Amino acid sequence: MTGTREEGSRRIVRTLGVMIWQKGRTPITFLGFLVVWQLAVVGLGVEEFVLPTPVSAISHLLLPQPDVDYHWIKHISATLMEVGLSFVVTVVVAIIIAIIITWSRTANDLCIPLFIFVNSLPIVATAPIILLWFGYGIFTNILIAFIISFFPMVINTATGLNAVEEELLDLVRYHGASKWQIFLKIRIPGSLHYIFSGLKICSTLCVVGAIIGEFIAAETGLGYLIVNSQFTVDTPAIFASLIVISVMGLGLFGLVSLIERLVMPWERREEVK
Amino acid sequence: MTKLRGFVERHYLKILEAIGFIALWQIVAIVIDKVYIIPSPLAVFTALFDPEVAVQYRWMEHIAATLSEIALGFVLSAVIGVLMAVVICWSRLLSDVLMPLLIFFNSIPKIAMAPLFLIWFGYGIIPNALIAILIGFFPVVINSATGLGEVDPDLLDLVNYMHASKLQVFTKIRLPNALPYIFSGLKVSTTFCVVGAIIGEFIAAERGLGYLLMDSQALIDTPPMFAGLVVISALALGLFGLISLFESLLIPWQRQETASG
Repeated sequence: MTGTREEGSRRIVRTLGVMIWQKGRTPITFLGFLVVWQLAVVGLGVEEFVLPTPVSAISHLLLPQPDVDYHWIKHISATLMEVGLSFVVTVVVAIIIAIIITWSRTANDLCIPLFIFVNSLPIVATAPIILLWFGYGIFTNILIAFIISFFPMVINTATGLNAVEEELLDLVRYHGASKWQIFLKIRIPGSLHYIFSGLKICSTLCVVGAIIGEFIAAETGLGYLIVNSQFTVDTPAIFASLIVISVMGLGLFGLVSLIERLVMPWERREEVK
Repeated sequence: MTKLRGFVERHYLKILEAIGFIALWQIVAIVIDKVYIIPSPLAVFTALFDPEVAVQYRWMEHIAATLSEIALGFVLSAVIGVLMAVVICWSRLLSDVLMPLLIFFNSIPKIAMAPLFLIWFGYGIIPNALIAILIGFFPVVINSATGLGEVDPDLLDLVNYMHASKLQVFTKIRLPNALPYIFSGLKVSTTFCVVGAIIGEFIAAERGLGYLLMDSQALIDTPPMFAGLVVISALALGLFGLISLFESLLIPWQRQETASG
């Protein structure tokens, strides 16, 4: 009797362990990574300007520093505004353009290969030209974020709108569905999966674009702070900024995933299965 | 025959688009009529090829610098990425520990780390190549690891039953199966490496096309900026084409499938 109970509890502990490992692998490995980093820096006596400890980076972010005032709020809000605005503008413009080009067969055949081609180019190299045209400032950085995230978004959306089963189209056409009805009831729901995967790519690229814009020309923003800290060899401030930028990128990504679950609960159910 | 005609028709459209694009560009340049805002295609061509004009931009020096950064970055991304994927697929524990970290780092904006490399390694070709690796490495390792991991379990059961060694399973089943994935990772990596090198040069360099772009921007000298853009695109497309060529040589069956499909 006791034996089976012991066995049972051991089994529960083991299953629990496996479950924790499977569900929490990412946070566990990440925490482990931070601990190794902290111990390695302290243990090997690495200078702070070469590689700060995670603790030092976080304290630069959260605690007031004696020598410098980093104006975190100002820089974070500038970058956040650029990322937010560029994300919204990119998504709206890309989805509208994708709808327009997939509406017509000719526009589709003309634009999609062109977009795919442009997307394979290093578009970020146009950043100095945009800077030349529009000068320093938030608008320029939004534009840089827009041009690098626009193409993946429009390609994904258009692919989704085109990826409809021909049989389904035949069926509803046979029932006399209008082009508008087909669009609303079949094409849009069918493309949601692609649109969300585009949104996820876009969420990272908008952060990248805003930061690159701030690297090459800005007076505020985390990218500016990073380059500025590079000049003053203030490595902990760079790492602190990197933490904020990563949180921003992951936060936007998480937000998109959350909306995806709410909009398409059926996708999640399939995943669980 | 119909396949050939379809092929010609497709490219006919692309050629038409290219001509249309250049014509549109020329018209816009004429209408705006300010070379510092938008130079005509002819002005860009002159900046690139007219010996008297081109000499001041030292194209060869800049192209050589950027090209060596890209090449170094790409080769190391490919080698390290594939080797790491092999290690990951070899050991279950390593895969469990490394994959979440890799996916995490892949999803954060790594390019923001670029200025760190300048602190660590100073200016020059090496830090810029390292920035290229920083963003070019992840698509290779994640794609390769996915490819090496995605094997038909029935096939594995079969060869296990026939007492295949781990090495045999790897070289005869996993690796051939992963090649399409590896190549799609490499293709993504080509563009990323170009982007990495250029951004490194944006932030700090004394040579390279990214440096030329920023330098010309400061001087409001627009023709070399557009010419630089053309050269950068050509480098990216060239590398992409080279990898596609290798792909079609190494895995011809994949090519036949996409051609017929």
